[in-house]
Amino acid sequence: MSNQDLDPDSTTDEDVTAAKEELIKKCEEMWKDLQEYQNKLSLIGTETLTDSNAQLSLLIMQVKCLTAELSQWQKEIPEILPLNEEVLVTLGKEEFQKLRHDLELVLSTVQSKNGKLKEDLEREQQWLDEQQQIFESLIVLHNELKHQTVTESRTFKELKTKLHDVKEYKEKLLVTLSEFLEDHFPLPDRNVKKKGKNTQESTIQLITLHEMLEILLNRLFDVPHDPYVKISDSFWPPYIELLLRNGIALRHPEDPNRIRLEAFHQ
Amino acid sequence: MSVLRPQDQLPGLNAATILLVGKEDALLQRLADSMLREDCASSLKVHLAHSLPLPSDVNRPRIDLIVFVINLHSKYSLQNVEESLRHVDATFFLGKVGFLVTGAGRDSHCSVHRSTVLKLARAYRSPLLFCDLEVEGFRVSMAQRLVRMLQVCAGHVPGVSALSLLSLLRSSENPCLEDL
Repeated sequence: MSNQDLDPDSTTDEDVTAAKEELIKKCEEMWKDLQEYQNKLSLIGTETLTDSNAQLSLLIMQVKCLTAELSQWQKEIPEILPLNEEVLVTLGKEEFQKLRHDLELVLSTVQSKNGKLKEDLEREQQWLDEQQQIFESLIVLHNELKHQTVTESRTFKELKTKLHDVKEYKEKLLVTLSEFLEDHFPLPDRNVKKKGKNTQESTIQLITLHEMLEILLNRLFDVPHDPYVKISDSFWPPYIELLLRNGIALRHPEDPNRIRLEAFHQ
Repeated sequence: MSVLRPQDQLPGLNAATILLVGKEDALLQRLADSMLREDCASSLKVHLAHSLPLPSDVNRPRIDLIVFVINLHSKYSLQNVEESLRHVDATFFLGKVGFLVTGAGRDSHCSVHRSTVLKLARAYRSPLLFCDLEVEGFRVSMAQRLVRMLQVCAGHVPGVSALSLLSLLRSSENPCLEDL
């Protein structure tokens, strides 16, 4: 019994003593009941547990005791202490004060928890926004790259067609050149009979000016550091002179038997 | 009395007694001091014991709560507690027994695994509390908790019985019901 201290500020002393006596009488009755129950309990034997049977027996016991407690709670009717109104009111006020204090504590804890949760939520929201932004910029980047590959393939196609056109033009030029050279710079006719004995009759197959130019051109581009070609007997000398005189071919500075094509492209 | 029973004697008026069982004298003493420093409406009594059974010649009040203190650093402490458990009546385990484990902080010194203690607590259906009794702050908060538990077990909190407290503590500590 925790409320044995009565409120000393009562109206009359008689009331106080009367209330006190009533309470003490009640306490004595309860104490007698307790002793009775205690005697009954001491008759019940003891029982110890071992590891193996502990869980099961404890659970069974717990079930029994909980059901007993539950039925007790259901049967019980709350009794008011036999006190006069003022004392009860003061006691009631005390209890409510305590309750209020406890509830305020609970409120402040819950509020601080709420505050923390809000902060966490904000932080998570911020993080989510940042992630969203990153995602969007990644999508934009992805689209740009896709677009770029598309444009790249287009430029690639354009370059291919250009290359093709240039190659065709080159072919045309070469064909025109060979026709031109054939027309204006033919090889000397072998069937022309020379008057008088010519010990220098050449039986060597002469190559056309076109072929000579081709040899020189190929050498220039195949071996750029040594574009010199040895003059062979298949080159008709007047044409060599023609090329040299017009600056299309150049002699080797040290070796008169080698010529090269002038590098017009450099 | 070789076996401790919860209803041996009539309860003292406004008194609550707790029995701390364990081999670590210094830690138990410090915990007892922290508990006595707490202000509470009932008058507290703290009894310390190395092991059970308690000597029967001493006149002691009715014990409301037994806390077995296990130090994870020594296997001997666990053995001691396991032996003492045999001298406790079965009805004590309806909420009036608790296990307190200390020394879980320093993992390298632990010779008893946490799961062993968990299994022990689960076998005896009692709450298991972890606390590093060496640290002042943790000890004080654990003392507060124990005082509150003691008040409930002694019946000083209207409306809450030891068994209902046990059921309340259960849900957070024993989540797996499959191993019943």
